[in-house]
Amino acid sequence: MMLLGLEWAFPLVLLLLPVALLPWFNNNLDKTVAWTALVPHDPLSRTISLSLKVLSSVVIAALLLAVASPAIPERTVERFGEGAEIVLLLDRSRSMDDAFAVTTQAANYSVAGDNSKRRVAKTYLTEFVKKRPDDRFGFVFFSTNSINLLPLTYSKEAILSTIEANSLGKGLSDTNLADALMNSAIMFEDQPYRGARIVLLVSDGGQLMTDEAMEQITKRYKEMNLSIYWIYLKSRQEMTLEPSENDNILYTDIPERKVHEFFKTIGVPYRAFEAGSLEEFSDAMDEIDEQQYQTLIVEELVPHEPKADWFLWLALLAMLPLASSHLYSYWGVRKAHE
Amino acid sequence: MSLSYPKRIFLTALVMLFGLLMIMAALWLPPVDREVDVMDSLFVIDITDSMNVQDVSFANENINRLDWAKEYTRQAILSMPCGSHAGLAIFSEARSLILMTPVEVCANYHDLMQMLSQFQPTMAWARSSEVSKALYTAIRQAKEITPQPTVVFLTDGHEAPPVHETLFPKFTDTPGEVPGIIIGIGGSDLMPIPKTNESGEIDGYWEINEVMHRDVYASSRGDAAELNENRPRTEHLSSQKKSHMETVAKRIGFEFISSPKSPQNLIKEMQKISEMRQQPVKYDLFVWLASIALVLLLLVFLPYSLFSKQHD
Repeated sequence: MMLLGLEWAFPLVLLLLPVALLPWFNNNLDKTVAWTALVPHDPLSRTISLSLKVLSSVVIAALLLAVASPAIPERTVERFGEGAEIVLLLDRSRSMDDAFAVTTQAANYSVAGDNSKRRVAKTYLTEFVKKRPDDRFGFVFFSTNSINLLPLTYSKEAILSTIEANSLGKGLSDTNLADALMNSAIMFEDQPYRGARIVLLVSDGGQLMTDEAMEQITKRYKEMNLSIYWIYLKSRQEMTLEPSENDNILYTDIPERKVHEFFKTIGVPYRAFEAGSLEEFSDAMDEIDEQQYQTLIVEELVPHEPKADWFLWLALLAMLPLASSHLYSYWGVRKAHE
Repeated sequence: MSLSYPKRIFLTALVMLFGLLMIMAALWLPPVDREVDVMDSLFVIDITDSMNVQDVSFANENINRLDWAKEYTRQAILSMPCGSHAGLAIFSEARSLILMTPVEVCANYHDLMQMLSQFQPTMAWARSSEVSKALYTAIRQAKEITPQPTVVFLTDGHEAPPVHETLFPKFTDTPGEVPGIIIGIGGSDLMPIPKTNESGEIDGYWEINEVMHRDVYASSRGDAAELNENRPRTEHLSSQKKSHMETVAKRIGFEFISSPKSPQNLIKEMQKISEMRQQPVKYDLFVWLASIALVLLLLVFLPYSLFSKQHD
């Protein structure tokens, strides 16, 4: 429960606070005197007795407040960090189950276990995420209908577990790139601009998109000032995204190149990394890592801080003179009765 | 009760001294380690069309099965002690798809809820609902996760296309190797199943002639075809398939709980069937120490005179 800006674990204890007044209605320690008029008028004694009552009340109240276990509730603070906000777009299609960076055509179609493209992508992305303490990551579920599965979060555990889950099991039969790209942009919608915004696409192929979809994507990406990074996992070593002179005729019209062309025309920062080997993949990740250190507003979650110690200190400070005075009177009384 | 004046002074001094020591201990005694039983879980949520049927209620409100499953998952996660882990998966077609491997529930509560809220029928990648096969894949994938989670499978048990009793997909793993619980959702009356369009809106209902009413493989076998002859054609309607889920649960060594009333039913069952991990948590004793100091101090000031006459 919240009270006075603090969160109290046992708020009901506070109902006992009136017992702090007990010392004022109490005469357990009074000495019965036959005739009070005989007691000399002593202002110092009166002050001392009054302050002892005050101290007793303070100790009782402070202890009650401490037992109610107050804490400053969990809160977010903003600080400046270095990094970026990155939405991960991992291809989950069946072809990502195939082995990565193979040289023979036959091996291309073998069912790959640990070195499937999806597993390799997981390994490097995990490393990348761990290297970037201030980044916020989001994750788009890439299927027939893409879903903004994990909205931008600072929790490394959450994003790493989502990346790990993505590497389990088999791929999906149908994926929709245009929809996924649109959804990645939506992830940044209604978010204050905190720093560099990146859509990081990791895939082994492209898809033809309708003109309408391309128009919408162009508009959105420009409006929202997004950068696109595409790590293209090559199926065949000699395939390139840029056409070259001695191109195999098979490559001239493939969807990958069309997507590449389209990304270049959007007019937002765009880099493609063609990874044909594990080193190239890791180099691509390193290069993104080096480039993306701009100022970023980082929201940090400060966990709730127990503050019972404040009241324990107060109780202690009041208790010290109180206990001393009682020990002193015990000493005095003993002396008197000797 | 009556004590002599010197005795009272002595006891008060003693109590004050102890009180002081207790307050000091409350401030400076380091927290002690305490072992807490924590659990690892993987929630698999059925997102097939039959989960859109509105025949369950929550807090006196009629809601659909999927919303119930999501709300139940949320409450179950909330009921787990900090240090427990929970992962999320969905089931459609014939497989379970893990979307987040288990994460610590307290630190990641917000992200777990964010993801859970996204689960909707539009995520389905195909329009069938093969519950048993999905359970098998959930078990297989749970084995790949360390520490191995207990599978919590939330479904209405509706198999589409239907499976004939004698033609059950074979379960090749050891039953009970991965502990799990099937949570049955849905009412007992047959209800029409809403169809959803691409944007997830309900767009009509599945008609009697749009779904298969028998196991395709059974109908190709002479004897089974005969056996099937007189069965009513009701596969376009859905209710909670309790007996089916019980059979499947037995086969794979899972527990089955039908329409649990509270998340505690699930938590208790999980504590029974899964190996709990012990997680040490720091426990500060200050509440106890401060309470002792408080009680001691109050002993001095309680109005004893109200109960007994005091004499010097």
